[in-house]
Amino acid sequence: MQDSVDIPLKIRTGIDVTGPAIWFADKKVLNAEAYISADLNEKFALFIGAGYSDYSYSQYNYDYLSKGSFLKAGIDFNLLKPEVAAGKYWAGIGIRYGLSSFLSETPSFTHENYWGVTSLSIGSSRILGHYVEISPGFRAELFKNFSIGWSVNLRKLISPGLKKDLRPLWLPGYGPGEPVSAGAAYYISWNIPFKKIRVGLKKEEQEEYYDEEEYGESSTGTRLR
Amino acid sequence: MRKVFNIIIVFIVVCVLALSVSCTPGSCFEETNAYLKASFYQSSTGRAVPPDSLTLSGIGKDSAVYKKAARVQPAMIPLNPSAPGCRFLIRINGVDDTISFFYSTFVHLISRECGYTCFHDLDSLVFTRHMIDTVQIKLRTITTFNEPNIFIYY
Repeated sequence: MQDSVDIPLKIRTGIDVTGPAIWFADKKVLNAEAYISADLNEKFALFIGAGYSDYSYSQYNYDYLSKGSFLKAGIDFNLLKPEVAAGKYWAGIGIRYGLSSFLSETPSFTHENYWGVTSLSIGSSRILGHYVEISPGFRAELFKNFSIGWSVNLRKLISPGLKKDLRPLWLPGYGPGEPVSAGAAYYISWNIPFKKIRVGLKKEEQEEYYDEEEYGESSTGTRLR
Repeated sequence: MRKVFNIIIVFIVVCVLALSVSCTPGSCFEETNAYLKASFYQSSTGRAVPPDSLTLSGIGKDSAVYKKAARVQPAMIPLNPSAPGCRFLIRINGVDDTISFFYSTFVHLISRECGYTCFHDLDSLVFTRHMIDTVQIKLRTITTFNEPNIFIYY
């Protein structure tokens, strides 16, 4: 029986195709994201992602614009056994910290009350928000050194970068400026193997039975294990 | 290859669900106007007693906020976001007074669905004393929350 397996460690670089796909359907939201990750061993990989977002929104009484970039970094953890993953498959969870630097602007909004209609605007300002992200997902090597995969991204906003009265409606890399947000990504990536490691396989624990004669009968008459 | 196909199918389902949620236009169910909330008290007893008749109109405006309204408690007084102050004619049980409010205005985001509104910080107020005995400022920040900002003793 094989007691070890060779796992190729890889550097991966890829893009998220959901952003451009959504943009083709709705020209008001553009998200572009790329990432690079490097295997530390058969379980862990370092992840760095960056991207750009351009968002506009109109509601009955206001217009809103958000434009900027984001950077996120963290660790990917592979839950598959090394002999299953074999350097080709990944099913696990990523934990990331994200920074979002962007311009937020409300070019116009109107407010109507007893005194009439008031038109106001909020000028463009540079904002720095940050968040954490948990990304369970799956990735498979489709062809040699070419992978596809998807992840569901669950995010928690640490700070929107502005006080509560004027919190941004959209943060690049995070999404709607609510306390939590969710999204999905579909990655296409290119893999560069850089090292092979040999990983020992955990042996299945075998049940051991001992002869009653060897250990003597227990007082209850049950078999000792 | 079958695995890849399954991945794609699952992904498409997730995407469709995510998009259907994110693309659903939201509706606004929240209060979008910030009123100055005025509670009425009888000065002789100190008890909260709404006036039998209340008329309230902005000076310079043709329409009234309240017109001989009975048992209004609290009165919801709209401030002018375009000006640093505004003045009202207030008729309590048939007797006229005027009350002026001076404040600063700031913009507040309610939600993505409801958009923005104007909140105020009340600096001071001035009033005549025909029916009104005194006015107490209880809460200077005027928001959409249902908390009284001033007590009017009459």
